[in-house]
Amino acid sequence: MIIITNNAKMMEETGNSIEKEYIDGTHKDVLIAVRDRIHKGHRLLTHPLSGSVKPNQTPFKSVAISKVPEKLDLDSLDIIEKSIRTYEQFEKIPTDNGKANNERILNDYREIDYKLLESALISANRRG
Amino acid sequence: MKLELGKIPIHDVKFDSESRIEGNTLYLNQEELISHLMVDENIKSITIDVARPGDKTRIMPVKDVIEPRVKVSGKGQVFPGTLSKVETVGQGRTNVLKGMAVVTTGKIVGFQEGIIDMSGPGADYTPFSKLVNLVVVCEPVEGIDQHTHEKTVRIAGLRAAAYLGNLAKDIEAEEIETYETYTVKESMEKFPDLPRVAYVLMLQTQGLLHDTYVYGVDMKHSLPTIIYPTELMDGAIISGNCVSACDKNTTYHHLNNPVVEDLFKKHGKELNFVAVVITNENVYLDDKERSSDWTSKLVEFLDVDGVIISQEGFGNPDTDLIMNCKKIEAKGIKTVIITDEYAGRDGASQSLADADESANAVVTAGNANMVIELPPMDKVIGYQEVADVIAGGFAGSLKPDGSITAELQVIVGATNELGFNKLSAR
Amino acid sequence: MSKIRVVHYINQFFGQIGGEEKADHKPEAREGFVGPGMAFQASFKDKAEIVGTVICGDSYFNENIEAETEELLTMIETFKPDLFIAGPAFNAGRYGMACGSIAATVKEKLGIPALTGMYVENPGVDSFKSKVHIVSTKDSAAGMRDAIKKMAPLALKLALGEPIGSPEEEGYIPTGIRVNFFEEKRGSERAVEMLLKKLKGEEFTTEYPMPDFDRVDPSPAIKDITKATIALVTSGGIVPKGNPDRIESSSASKYAKYDIEGIDDLTAEEYETAHGGYDPVYANKDADRVLPVDVLREFGKEGKIGKLHRYFYTTTGNGTSVANAKKFAAAIAKELVSDGVDAVILTST
Repeated sequence: MIIITNNAKMMEETGNSIEKEYIDGTHKDVLIAVRDRIHKGHRLLTHPLSGSVKPNQTPFKSVAISKVPEKLDLDSLDIIEKSIRTYEQFEKIPTDNGKANNERILNDYREIDYKLLESALISANRRG
Repeated sequence: MKLELGKIPIHDVKFDSESRIEGNTLYLNQEELISHLMVDENIKSITIDVARPGDKTRIMPVKDVIEPRVKVSGKGQVFPGTLSKVETVGQGRTNVLKGMAVVTTGKIVGFQEGIIDMSGPGADYTPFSKLVNLVVVCEPVEGIDQHTHEKTVRIAGLRAAAYLGNLAKDIEAEEIETYETYTVKESMEKFPDLPRVAYVLMLQTQGLLHDTYVYGVDMKHSLPTIIYPTELMDGAIISGNCVSACDKNTTYHHLNNPVVEDLFKKHGKELNFVAVVITNENVYLDDKERSSDWTSKLVEFLDVDGVIISQEGFGNPDTDLIMNCKKIEAKGIKTVIITDEYAGRDGASQSLADADESANAVVTAGNANMVIELPPMDKVIGYQEVADVIAGGFAGSLKPDGSITAELQVIVGATNELGFNKLSAR
Repeated sequence: MSKIRVVHYINQFFGQIGGEEKADHKPEAREGFVGPGMAFQASFKDKAEIVGTVICGDSYFNENIEAETEELLTMIETFKPDLFIAGPAFNAGRYGMACGSIAATVKEKLGIPALTGMYVENPGVDSFKSKVHIVSTKDSAAGMRDAIKKMAPLALKLALGEPIGSPEEEGYIPTGIRVNFFEEKRGSERAVEMLLKKLKGEEFTTEYPMPDFDRVDPSPAIKDITKATIALVTSGGIVPKGNPDRIESSSASKYAKYDIEGIDDLTAEEYETAHGGYDPVYANKDADRVLPVDVLREFGKEGKIGKLHRYFYTTTGNGTSVANAKKFAAAIAKELVSDGVDAVILTST
């Protein structure tokens, strides 16, 4: 699997055994990077809208995709496209995170994003 | 399986030297309760407060709401597998303290959320403004991680509820309500002509602060399974979900699941309420496929004609909801789904992150993006400064006078997706 | 309380000026009511008074939408209205677009309530239902009495700022805007009741209609593009100069088919666009910008494609109803298939 992420905690904590692509950008940049990979034939492994923290609140996002590109997976494409649409919908709602997001809160967002993906890793590790 | 609920109405909670229930008043020795809760070494301090309907009081950030209950007869104890030992509950008699709840608060994460206003416009949107709330404010020891903090507050709430429930163990309830589920064969014979109906209850299971426990099992690691509706009433399902106040199912909701209650009302008359199927909402997509395959297989196996599906949360769970709906409809079983909406502040955006034409019967609990003004309150229990960062709040949301402008999202239970409220949208 | 001041908008036909031949009638304002305004006035009794009527030709409005909306707005404003009513337009496409556009603009710019009425398939419905209340009417003027019966009370409610009930109760077309309200019963009870209805095969109303799913499975890829016959089909309104088949500038009721045998380039002398609602200057200067005949001819010569199909098909997409568009597409597709066309490039504006 490959984890596409803009979450530094994900880069530090998961070690080198898992392939990761760090996106130096926004939550949306991660979703776009995932979409591009799906166009190239990677399959979506985790839901891009993971977590009840709304897309306009958390700046961090990690998504797991399959390692080897195969044929375009239309289900994956459907989910990522809908997720981007939902993200854009939330993006329009004003949340000025500048004031709200102090370092402690940013760390909490990193932690949640990391833990949600970790819960998927447990599921993923069951597969051969 | 048959359970009697003995309802003991509680109209007020007062502090006193001896904890007891007299008439409709619960007297509490708060030192005793505090020391009962302080057994957890992760707790630094606890303060206890009472908020009554109509008070100019705001409780925030709320973690969980729990109704005190106690087993009077029948196997097991309330909250099996989390607070008491694992033993099947849901039969015999359980006493319930009606009209009150334990509310836990705690800043588990910086953006911790959840408001209960006891009066004013916000009170209309939360069912908990109508209860006498015993608020447990938990301050954890320094340096505790989010996961441990969550568990600490979760267990403290259950412990407090069990402590209060215990006070009603020997009280003879005036009002008794009986709920009975028959085995598959029995119900077939009893109600041969009634449509068979099951309830698919989706539980939040995405990971940290998004978890639900069934008899102590983290539901994300379980396959969908069958549970008697009366097991829910004894606390078989516990909320570990702290995110998205408006549509998280608190433990109170699980104990008083409205779909279960309303199906029971027609049980044996207009329908045959066969079973509750519980399933999860994992992040991993293969888990979603497997779980929705499994729920559709279980309801097919139960030979039901119709199913109500409720979800918990937004986004990722929308995909599970639609998968469940699609696969169950594909088996020729009729569905009604219950959800809430995130249609934007202007109500013009698409409400769900996923959709399918098979979902042609939808009940909505309202648009959670709706903006609401919450006037200042005389008293805040908990931590008011979190208003700026809680979900649905936005910069400037907390004004100097203590009033809050925020989305409905911040109010506990406002758009509950079990259909607990009357709020809807069109 | 003084009477509510109402301004009414109607087209040249209802203004009793004339039919299609007068569709280019320039805007005018008259004191009091005209045409259907009389029935509205009767219905209002003494609660409201139509103080002025604004009349404009359908074609004239649709060809000058922005400028006309401004001009009409000024006319309407001089009457100092408390309420604005447009139409009803029934199934008349251009009239519907005009009513929707002006009503929405009046509501937004003048900040007064506005209301119009249309048949549900009128293209004005899709364009404006989220911006202004549109009462659902029958498809022809024979439904005038019924339309006014629904529109007049709703208009008064809007003007008085009274709460507006559901689309079913008030007779307007659902706006698509989600508004919260408190139901009589809680959600779980509604769910159980809905399920029982569904099980019995009785009618039930979903509280959240799923978005429209008009999914089209993509066709398999062309095996060998260098041998394929490619056709051009456009909703961009490209027509031979003078628009010989009189395709409407909006809400088209027809499409046309033109032979381009021997034509390598669409020149400004020979082709133009019939499409209203966008700046046509660049399309008129070089229609290849909308319908790329020149490039496809080149590709044909270079062997990149087999050849360009001999005919192109054209209509205007502006306000054209989905029902009409589907009908055109089915007919066009049938011809293309029987002509042995392998693929189509669809262009819009």
